[in-house]
Amino acid sequence: MAGLREPIVSVEHLRKSFGDVEVVKGVTFQIPRGGFFGLLGPNGAGKTTTIGMLTGLVEPTGGRILIDGNDFFQKPLLSKAKMGFVPQALALYPTLCALDNLTFFARLYGLRKGRLKERITAVLDLVGLADRADQTVDTFSHGMKRRLNIAVGLLHEPDLLILDEPTVGVDTQSRNAILETLEGLNRSGVTILYTTHYIEEAEKLCHRVGIMDQGKMMALDTPAALVRDLGTGIVSMEFNATPDEALLSAIGQIGSFRAVDEQSKQLRLETKHPDRAGREVLDLMDKRAGLLKTMDIIEPNLETVFIHLTGRYLRN
Amino acid sequence: MLRQIIAITLKELKIVWLDREALALLFAMPMFFILVMSLALQGVFEAGTKERPVEVLVVNTDGGPLAEQVIGDLKGVEGLTLIEKAGGIPLNLETAEALIRRGEYPLALSFGAGFSKRVLHAQGVSESEKATVTLISDPATHLQLLASVKGMIRSTIERRILTATLPQRLSRALENAAGGISLGTFDSNKEEQVRGMVGDTAKNPADDSVVFVNTSPTGYSSGRRPTATEQNVPAYTIFGVFFIVLTLASSFLREKQDGTFQRLLTAPLSKAALLIGKLLPYYVVNLIQIALMFAVGTFLFDMTLGNGPALILVSLALAAAANGLGLLVAALGKTEAQVNSLSVLLSITLAALGGMMVPAFVMPGFMKTLSLVTPHAWALAGYHDVIIRGLGLAGILPETGVLLGFAVLFFAGALWRFRFD
Repeated sequence: MAGLREPIVSVEHLRKSFGDVEVVKGVTFQIPRGGFFGLLGPNGAGKTTTIGMLTGLVEPTGGRILIDGNDFFQKPLLSKAKMGFVPQALALYPTLCALDNLTFFARLYGLRKGRLKERITAVLDLVGLADRADQTVDTFSHGMKRRLNIAVGLLHEPDLLILDEPTVGVDTQSRNAILETLEGLNRSGVTILYTTHYIEEAEKLCHRVGIMDQGKMMALDTPAALVRDLGTGIVSMEFNATPDEALLSAIGQIGSFRAVDEQSKQLRLETKHPDRAGREVLDLMDKRAGLLKTMDIIEPNLETVFIHLTGRYLRN
Repeated sequence: MLRQIIAITLKELKIVWLDREALALLFAMPMFFILVMSLALQGVFEAGTKERPVEVLVVNTDGGPLAEQVIGDLKGVEGLTLIEKAGGIPLNLETAEALIRRGEYPLALSFGAGFSKRVLHAQGVSESEKATVTLISDPATHLQLLASVKGMIRSTIERRILTATLPQRLSRALENAAGGISLGTFDSNKEEQVRGMVGDTAKNPADDSVVFVNTSPTGYSSGRRPTATEQNVPAYTIFGVFFIVLTLASSFLREKQDGTFQRLLTAPLSKAALLIGKLLPYYVVNLIQIALMFAVGTFLFDMTLGNGPALILVSLALAAAANGLGLLVAALGKTEAQVNSLSVLLSITLAALGGMMVPAFVMPGFMKTLSLVTPHAWALAGYHDVIIRGLGLAGILPETGVLLGFAVLFFAGALWRFRFD
């Protein structure tokens, strides 16, 4: 039996190609039992394909996946029984009520009679839908559907819960409810693998994050370590006119700037100390009144780590 | 506003254009209907005409000239084609019945031994000594067609018997006439007398000499004719059963589009369990559908069902074939439009081709052959075997076997093409 410190998920050199296009390029990571792992990346980074391979939906071109020490593709049913999956799509039967949806999926996972009722009651309470059990899903708000989507994945009390963008398109209240639920589950010992492109969620929840872009794992560590090692603050400026060479040279003394867009007249300055840099930029602007239109100061975080690694914003 | 309308129109056209398969089906569907329905219905509108004669097997064991003469007359009748030989050998009763049982021909006409002698010496004989003309028909033969063919055959036989027996009857009449009739003294009164005698004979020329027997091939239940219900209920039941193709295929597509299929695939269940679980309800729906249709036939129209186990066996095989086809469409159709068009195309075309709308035997030769590649034709044959021909389990094994063969073929094709991702 796997020990507490042993990884419940071990992904080794995982690859997937569709025709000539390789969309996942040798990804490797591990998730310890009880961990909360975030897979970050913009749309098209390969997160969903990686999750697809982990859940058996997509057949890998190469590499290996171990779930609780078992090779996924040698023992797929055993591996699947250990995991709960919450897909990005609202994978529910809209014309059935919440209770019928849960009953169906519970039976699929082998729950019967008293245990089935007990688990349905528990997950409905957990996601705050106990009073809506008899309502058909198509009458639910998007947030309620998302919560029910998660409830389905929790029915059989999986050791590992895999969630693909579970908060996409939900209102703040539902998002907070979902995040609280996930935190609570993780505290109770459930290992969580979670994909998102919402940086603040990952920073708040995840013990470790993997940053993916264009099918590659760009960085893998705790959020704090990533920010410490790779994070730089950003001072983002927009001008009313293209800044002259003298100004650009002066700004270059404050920190390294990545880009000046001639058309939008924007400039992004990367620095370890964005607050101080911002003040220095404002000092320079004193002599050029009316040139600076807006300035945003972003402290080092996972978003700036991603920008540092890829040169792009995560949500692009 | 016009620009917006044009923009929306162009966008829709592009979407339609991009779904080439659905577009092709959109055009193929009406063409198929026109082709299949026209060819199939040709039989109904033209059956028994010069262009589409009905093929009648002829068994002649007369040994005299009269049957030969009748056959010669029938050959000249428009709308009938007489088949006297099979494999170069003159037909006998057993061969003719076997050909009808195999569904290759609908009718056989048999002239009994001594037909000529019995007709010519029929004066005063008992019914059992009279000449017999037997019309053997498949009980499932379309009633209107059968009536029309019977009428043609009977009137031809009656005319020939009238001609053959006229001298004999006339002579007898003249002999019996009081005082005899001499040609020299043949006045207008006597002419009227002769005309009267011949006229009387012409009223019922074959009544005194021939017994017309209508029957079914040996082994079939008595020559009972099917009612309209017995004809229609099985045909339209089969037609309806195959509409499960649309329901089933759409269900798979919807699950894939909603993402629930993906969720099912991540559950700890095998792909086989998933497919069986998905198919089983539709299989049960089909069986309920069949039971309901036959219940309506039985309770509202007094339809007799024949051998229960045989009927159930045909129904089980039919539902399996329909479900197999549904899964095949689910595997082939990538979009809702494709699934809808393909389902409707198959359901209606195969039904028309399989003889659900018109009996297969009135179709042109190649269409008749083509009908055998539809599960519909075999299912209908199976139901007719049980309901109309009164056969039991052993009798419907060939049809059931073929239906199960179709089911296996459809399922194999579906599993080959089905995408689980």
